[in-house]
Amino acid sequence: MNDDEAIARSLEGDLSAYEALVARYSALAHRTAAMLGAGDEAEDVVQEAFVKAFRHLPSFHRDSPFRPWLLRIVANETHNLTRARGRRSELSVRLGATAVATAPDDPEGAAVATDRRARLLEAVRGLPERERQAVVCRYFLQLSEAETAQVLGWPIGSVKSRTHRGLARLREEVRDELG
Amino acid sequence: MSSAERPDDLEAELRALAGSLDVPAPPPEQVAAAVRARLEAPQPEAVRPQRRRRVRWKVVAVVVAVVVAVTAATPQGRQAVLTILRSAGVELRLGSDTPTPVATPTVLPGEHVVPPEELATLQRFRVKTLTALHPPQSATVSDSGRVVSMFWPGGLRFDQVDGGVSPYFFKRLGPPYPQDVTVNGVTGWWVPGEHPLGYLERPDGTEVPLRQAGPTLIWEAGTIGYRLEGAASMERAVELAGSLR
Repeated sequence: MNDDEAIARSLEGDLSAYEALVARYSALAHRTAAMLGAGDEAEDVVQEAFVKAFRHLPSFHRDSPFRPWLLRIVANETHNLTRARGRRSELSVRLGATAVATAPDDPEGAAVATDRRARLLEAVRGLPERERQAVVCRYFLQLSEAETAQVLGWPIGSVKSRTHRGLARLREEVRDELG
Repeated sequence: MSSAERPDDLEAELRALAGSLDVPAPPPEQVAAAVRARLEAPQPEAVRPQRRRRVRWKVVAVVVAVVVAVTAATPQGRQAVLTILRSAGVELRLGSDTPTPVATPTVLPGEHVVPPEELATLQRFRVKTLTALHPPQSATVSDSGRVVSMFWPGGLRFDQVDGGVSPYFFKRLGPPYPQDVTVNGVTGWWVPGEHPLGYLERPDGTEVPLRQAGPTLIWEAGTIGYRLEGAASMERAVELAGSLR
């Protein structure tokens, strides 16, 4: 069952079809919420977003992709939450314990690489909010420019310019270590 | 193609970094089941609409009054009120005093007239109309297509706003405070009385005061915010909203 079939059946009230759609996008939705700042409340945000998405499904444009439409609702819910808490949205993710695959027989090189990843992540965390959102959507969530524009509700030109500025700032931050 | 010195290294590195970021998430089936359970739960409003609604908005009115009284002093509290009443594309700002009226009306950024029959061809989002009315007398599109406005004789105005993450319009309100009302199955807000209407310019959030707005109904569907201004009563506004297609 592809997205369109699942949506068509959900619109007819078939909750099993909608369950399938939720299961399919659950991981991505959690990732989006966490990376846009929902923190430990990402689960609540995602559940709320899926409930809202179902209720608003009749207004979904069937010939456009479901993924950015859904992620925009997730982004909205996340934004509402961070505003409600009166706090700056933060990138709430951790570096995984997985070793760097490029250097299995070179522990020293692996340690340097891990250190560099940690520093890059910190640099992303420290970006101004909008640049960080752009970088997160483009590279961590691997959305296209058009999808990013839809999810964040920005003109595509702003996506381009903020991504560009964010990358420039990151280059500046990590330049020393690159040597 | 982002930098002269190191074209793709950083971008590739960021993509690789994404793969090693841990984001805890419950099993997808569990999320799906929880969402389904919530969708299957009976919605009380549907059972006894009349009574239920009255009780509910009385509660909201009390909450709003209390919160406003408590929060006049604290920025955090004020923030909480904003959040409660925030809707796609519109932000209501409550204050304890009647706000100063906007003296000089201004138009929306980039507002230009468009023949009403051409609205359907706009690409940014699907423009709807109020089918209970004749086709609009005139229409405008503003700010790169983010706001579409339709006008009917007698001061009736209908705005559709591609809401996105940040609000677009803001309203400064003093008493009487807005009341909530069910509009097409979602909670909307009826803002009685004249109030200053402004507009938040993205990306920096600059506030542009627009004009004094008449009584307005606001609600949202998906990420589109709707505001209907100038209906004779809340009931009439809700009825017109029901014909949105």
